[in-house]
Formats: sequence, structure tokens, C-alpha cells
Amino acid sequence: MRIGLLTEGGYPYVGGEGGVWCDRLVRGLDRHEFDVYAFSTGQAQEDAGWVELPPQVQRVRTAPLWVAEEDGVVHGRRARRRFTEHYGELAAALCTAAEPGTAQKPGTAQGPGIAEKPGTAEADRFANALHGLAELARDEGGLVAALRSEQAVRALERACRAPGARRAAREARVSDLLTVADHLERALRPLSLDWYEEDGLGAVDLCHAASGGIAALPGLLARHFFGVPLVVTEYGVRLRTHYLTRPDASPAVRSLLAAFHGLLTAETYRAASYLVPGNAHARRWQERCGADRAKLRTIHPGLDATPFARVGEDRRPEDREKDEKREKQERQEKQERQEKQEHAGPHTLVWFGRVEPAKDLVSLLHAFAEVRAAEPGTRLRIVGRPSGPEGEAYLGHCRALAAQLFPDEADGPHAVGRNPVSFEEPGGPGAETTADVHAGGAVTVLSSVVEGFPVGLIEAMFCGRATVSTDVGAVVEVIGGTGLVVPPRNPRALAEACVSLLRDPERRARLGAAARARALELFSVEQNVAAFRGLYLETVARTPVRRPVLDGAGDPQPFAAPAEAHVPGHWTEPTPRAVPTWAVETPEPVTETVR
Amino acid sequence: MTDLSELDRGAAPGAADPVKVLLHRHRELCERAVDPLEIAAGLEAHGITDRTAARFRHRDVFSLAEELYARVPRDADTAADASAAPAREGDRRRSVAVLLLPLLPGTLCAAALIALARTHGQTRLYAAAAGVVAVALALRAALRRGPLALPDALASRSATGSWTCWLLVYAVLGDGLLRTAVAGGPDGLPDGTADGDWPVALAPLLALTLAVAPATWTAGLFLAHARRKLAASRGLEDFAASVRPVLLGAVALFLGALAALVVLCAPFLDAGPVSPAVLALGVLLFVARLLTVHGFTHAPRVILMLTAVAQVLAPATVFAARLPGCAALGAPVEALTAASGPSAVPVLTCGAGALTLLVHASRTLARASAHLRPEQAR
Repeated sequence: MRIGLLTEGGYPYVGGEGGVWCDRLVRGLDRHEFDVYAFSTGQAQEDAGWVELPPQVQRVRTAPLWVAEEDGVVHGRRARRRFTEHYGELAAALCTAAEPGTAQKPGTAQGPGIAEKPGTAEADRFANALHGLAELARDEGGLVAALRSEQAVRALERACRAPGARRAAREARVSDLLTVADHLERALRPLSLDWYEEDGLGAVDLCHAASGGIAALPGLLARHFFGVPLVVTEYGVRLRTHYLTRPDASPAVRSLLAAFHGLLTAETYRAASYLVPGNAHARRWQERCGADRAKLRTIHPGLDATPFARVGEDRRPEDREKDEKREKQERQEKQERQEKQEHAGPHTLVWFGRVEPAKDLVSLLHAFAEVRAAEPGTRLRIVGRPSGPEGEAYLGHCRALAAQLFPDEADGPHAVGRNPVSFEEPGGPGAETTADVHAGGAVTVLSSVVEGFPVGLIEAMFCGRATVSTDVGAVVEVIGGTGLVVPPRNPRALAEACVSLLRDPERRARLGAAARARALELFSVEQNVAAFRGLYLETVARTPVRRPVLDGAGDPQPFAAPAEAHVPGHWTEPTPRAVPTWAVETPEPVTETVR
Repeated sequence: MTDLSELDRGAAPGAADPVKVLLHRHRELCERAVDPLEIAAGLEAHGITDRTAARFRHRDVFSLAEELYARVPRDADTAADASAAPAREGDRRRSVAVLLLPLLPGTLCAAALIALARTHGQTRLYAAAAGVVAVALALRAALRRGPLALPDALASRSATGSWTCWLLVYAVLGDGLLRTAVAGGPDGLPDGTADGDWPVALAPLLALTLAVAPATWTAGLFLAHARRKLAASRGLEDFAASVRPVLLGAVALFLGALAALVVLCAPFLDAGPVSPAVLALGVLLFVARLLTVHGFTHAPRVILMLTAVAQVLAPATVFAARLPGCAALGAPVEALTAASGPSAVPVLTCGAGALTLLVHASRTLARASAHLRPEQAR
């Protein structure tokens, strides 16, 4: 199967967002071909170069989204009229669109039935305008210049002043119109790329957008032009990111841009064959933005489990005895572990992550004070780097608080004392790798008040450590029943949970083993890759590309594809099956037969 | 963004309306939000989850955000303050160095002319060469920054430099050549004096280089005014109507400054009466630069080229008329020169070009899109 992987500032570039995940996916599916279509987000990224590409990546096409590349085409009168018409439609859709959050709400004050219809009409209008602009760019070119022309601003103004436009749009001033036109021009740059050719995105069997938003735009157009099915993965919902990161602008600008991104997201969700949220949180957002539940397939991001294998398997002595070859190595490790003993111990709590206010280390320190009251001799290791100046300040604050709360203590009258709370940087002694950090403690604690998908927690699970975490973000979804969960900002509950685990080594071991089993089952790279493999096959089976078969002269051959080829499953079978057998057994020939 | 002390700890015991407390805590977020999803995203960033929302008797964060969005009083008066602020920001960045840099070419040109007047023979040639190089470098530096600076993206597309050079060369040598040509000369190359066989007029050059400073300042004024109008006007028509007088005013201001400079320069160089050709050329170059800086590169290039070609053709026709049988070719230029002197040719050509460009500019620079990110070509 030939997969067009669409990324924005991601995969082939070194250090791109989500690049590691895409790399694992591409390497894992080595029997498929990949065409990577990537947007770069800046000169620094282009200079950094690409990661090493495996042989299954057949071609890489990149386009810079940060510069406007004009082709020098000047539109004639007819093309100008076409542009004004489509752009006006787009602007009208933005100005009259219902607010993204409310469109899906059934039975509101607007009355039943009516609330639903305008939303779909706007979505259609938006999609048609988008396709119209893309067709114009494909036929005539010169779209970038047109998007920046006075016509575009004028069309935008007309749409904003039209009756039925929302209040914020009606109040738009000239500078607001310019800002919106500018943003739209940036956002619509993918329309003028030359990717939508027979040998470009038209040749792939499936488009996989690694994120929503702009990256999915080529997928939408490939679906429009060639009927290529689209799969969209969203590990973070782009619409939400847009809300959180957009610049401070006037209400009119923010309202129109929110409408644009909302409509684009809704159109992506409508057109995609499958949507892949990375966790329940993303899933809720997608449902909220109008995604069909039947299309949603949650696939958790996978983590490489091998670095944690040694620590995770450590607790089973019977395995170790069997493996006599590794005995020597084990002895060395034992020595190492003894050296680390001063850092680690059965009464050590570990916190690992990036130090920032959202992690609420203050609450953790207060909880630790209560733990110390119940279990004297317990130690707390805080391992992490501060993120940014805010994190630095927070770390300093936490250090001061720890020094205040806990006096240094020594083993005897002649020993040098030290603080029961130690702040360490990753890579220091006893914390060379993430696995070492978790191995050095009995219980891993997570005290955040805000959290997305807690990768640190999964690492602790891979290490087979019992965990106590706060109920934020996707924590409950990740941990399941294999760790203790307490409410956020509740030091007493956190302390009680920690003490109960510290006092009960057996429960700790049991929970740790369960956590490791759960993580291996759900959050390994293998499950991630296998899930995507299955999803690709399902997509191609359900919504295959229909390409006309051409004869030697280049004319379409009538009856080249039999009618039953359009029926999912074998039409002769009594019960229609969702997945045709030819798709499951040998995925590669699918393209051959259809071509 | 994550102001954790603000984080909601749940409803106060006994509070009749827990959402009101929440609304109070996140008032700023709720007031500036344009739709409920924005509030939902903001609330989530503040650590409010579906389980927190359950305490406010809501199914999830989204419905909580909707209630907040519906309940918050919203007024649109904040819009004006927000849009007015960034307009003034650009003015403050200008430092004294940037403000005074445009004076450099004129000063250097004056110094070079003084050096030319005080030297003779071989040294004079060296002084002239050094003066040309120094003035060229100073011009480059002066036009590198400030309101007349070309954006990087445009640098390759606007090849108006060579045509500008042609026009300047004609301003220096052209009138003399034409006068001599009509009289039957020239018999040799120009000797660099104003009263030789092929006289050289250096006053226009000095006036034009000195005019770089007023050009930069008036362009800055125009930009600042346009930006202010951009923020203030409610419609594209309003904007066009209010910017057009500003543009014409800026050009008039520049014209006045240039005329003053010409009048000031003329006596120092013992030149004759002030020719309006310099004024026409100055306005032409100023408007062309203004258009180019705003990304309209095509029209200035064409007009400058046409003007230069027309000016070169004028003496060429006079010379061509000396060929046997082609006497009619030189008739119009000779008649024109006889009627109102040799400077009529540059006045007519530059004046026509300047007027055309001014009309073009009053249409294009009045568009709002001209003031959108001038770093990109159009």
C-alpha cells in the first residue's frame, strides 16, 4: 500500500513535533511504501535537516509554509471573477458560521431542527469554497497573489457587512480585515502547491495526516480531486491549540479566525474516513467539534519499552536464575545498585518531569511533610529540569520551601547531614536514564494540576513501579486500576496514598506488575504500529480509491472495474463482510487491481 | 497562563451560585472569549476537568464553558483600544541615527562639490571619482533602513537602479548636450565645468541628494498617517478617501522641500535660473520609490524606463537629423528647444512620468492591501 504521510513541521525534520512517533510508525510498517509530504515551519527547521529515512520512504516533498511563493501568474478577468466568487463564499461562511462550540448542541433556545441545519449549510459552503479555490489554483495558478490582493480584502469586507453576519464580524475595522486576510493567505498556502497531480498525491492509496489543521488540508484536496481516503491523527487537538496560542488581536479577528479554524476542523472531520485521537481528551474535543463517533478510533501513542525492560523485569528473581549467561552482568548491576543505594531505597518517593508551576511541586512537598510524619526516614527525589525562566523561578521557590519544611538530618552525631528532599537533574548520579530514575524509588508520584498525556507516568509503568498520581488530563485513562489516583491539589490525600503504598511492599509489587503489564499491552510501540496497520487496511477496504482504468490510448475503459468491485466484500457471499479478503491477506496488490 | 493561585478549588460551602464564583475568577478569559470553545480551552489550561465541572452540576467542561459564555456581560468597546495600540509602536523604534542618516548623501555630495571646485587637473578627476563612490555608498546606506528601505523579498525584483542612474546622468549632462547638439556640437567630451563646450549641471545632483532627507521624512510621515488611518477607519472606502489626501499632501510637502533646496543650492554653484526639471525628476523618483517600497514594482519600473528612453531619444533625434534626408526627425525637439530652452525635454518627460505615477499611486496606495505586510511583492 502506498501511504501519503502529511506532516506540518514534523516528521522528516530533525526535532520536529511528533517526529519520533512518525518515525516509529514508518519504520514499523516496512511493508508499505510511504510518500512524505511535509510542511516546514521556519528557516531554522530547514537548516536542521532531515532524520535518516528508512528505505520504505519512497519520496519526500516539502513545502515551506513560512514564505509566500508566488508563481508570478496574474489573473485575467475570468479568473479574477472566479476567485472573488469563491473567496466571497469562504468569507461569507466565516462571517455567518455558528460559533464552533454551539453548532452541535441539540435542542437549544434556537429551536429544534433549525439549530442543526444552518451549521451544515455553512460547512458545505466552506467546503465548496475551499475546493473552488483549490481548483482555481490548479487550473490557473496565481492564488497567493490573489489572496493578498485588494479583491480579497474587499470580498472579506462585503461578507462582514452583509446581513446575517455575526456581531463581532460586523465590527471589523480595516486593520482587522487586513489581519484576517493575511492569516487566511497563510493558512491557504497549501492550496497552491503542485502536489495534487496524478503522480503526486493522486498516486497514493491513503493519506495520513499526522495532525489536524493545516496539515490535513492537502489530504482534503487529495480526497476531493482523486477520492483518496484520509486518516487524521490528532494527539493534540489543533483547534484547541489555536485557541490557546493565538495572538492578542481584536475580537473581530479572533472571532473570524476561530470560525475559520472551526470550519476547517469540522470539514476535516467530515471528510476523513477515520479519526485517530490519541487519548480520551482529544476524543472529547473531536466529538465536540462535530466528529462522527463511528469514525473515531483511539490509538494511544506508543513508547519504546526496551530501555525500561531491565528495570521492569528486575523484580522476578526466578527469571534471573534461569538466565545464567547474564549472571555476570547481573552481578555488576548489583554492585551498581549498591552504589546507588544511598540515592535509592524502599522508602524513596520519586518525582520525574519538567519543573514548572503546572506540576504543583509545592503540593507534593506539603504532602511529603505528612508522609514524613507517618513514616520517618522516607526520602523524596525530585528529578527534572526547569522549563523556561518561569520554571527556574518555580524550582528556586520549591528548593526554598523544601529547606524550610525539612531540616537536614544525619545518620549519627558524627555524620554529615543532608536534606530528605533532593533536587536532581536528569543525567546526574543515579539518574543517568529515565529507567534509572524510576528504579531508584519505591513509588513514583505525579502531582500535576494540569497534564496532557502523561508520558512520565507511562515510563514509570513500564518500569513496573507503583504510582500515585493526581486525577488530571489523561491520567485515569492511562493508569486504569494499576495505581492510586487522588484529586489534584489535595496534599493530604496524596500523602495518605503514598503512605499506604510505602507500608505495603506486596501491594506495591502487585500494582507495579499490573502497571507494567497494562503499559506493555496498551502503550507500546508495537500496539501503536499494529493498530495503525489495521486501520490502514480497514480504510483502504472500506473507502478505496476508485481510479478509472485507462486503455493504451489513454481513454477510460468502460467496464474495466466490475460493478461488484464497488460493493464492500464479496457480493456473492450471503453475508456481506466489512473487510474483503483480498485486502486483508495481501495488502499490496490492492493498488494493482484497482489501477 | 497557568496562574495556579487562581485555580478554582470548587464552590465555597454554602454558595448559592458556584458558577458565579468561577465566573469571577476567570472573568478576563470569559470576557475576551469569542466562543464557548475558547473558554473551554482556557478552563482546561487552568486545570479544570470534567470532574471539576461535575461539581458545578455540568456534564463536562464544554457545557460549563457554555454557561460561562452565556452569562458573562460582553461589551465591544475594548476593540478600539486594542487596535490603536500597535500603530504607535513602530514610530518609537526610530532612533536618532536612522533619522539623521538621510542627511549623509547630501552632505557628502556638497563636500565633493567643494573639493571639485578647489582642485584642478588630475587631482580633480580623483576627487570626482571619490565623490561619486562616497555619495553612492551613502545613498545605499540611507536607503537601507527607514521608511524608504526596500524589503528583502523585493530587492531582486525591483531593478529600477539602472534607470534611475540614466535619469540622473541626463539631469547632469543632458541639457548641455542638447543645447550643444542643436547648435551643431559637441566637439569634445565634457570638461566638468558649467561654461564649457558641453556644460555640466551639478546643481540638480546636489539638490537631489540633499532631498533624500526630506523624502525619507515625508515618506515616514505618510506611513505613520496611513497606519493610523488603517487602525481608525471602519471601511475600505473610508480608508481610501482618507489616505488619498495624505499621499498628495506628502508629495506636495516633498515638492516644497525640494524646491527650497534647489533655490538654496543654485547660488552656491553659480548655476542659472532654477529649472523645474529637477522638481519633476525629484517627484518622479520619490513616487516611484514610494510605490516600490509598498510592493508595486511593475509600474515604477516601466515608467522610469519609458522616461529614460524618451530622454535619450531626444538628443538622438537631433543627431539623427544630421543624416542626409532625415532632417524631419529632429524638428520636434529643435522646435521645443527653440521655444523654451533645452530643459523643456526633461520637464516634459519627467513631469509626464511623475504625473502618471502619482495617479497610479493615488489609486494603489489608497488600497488597504498596500499597507499589509509591505515585505511581500505584489
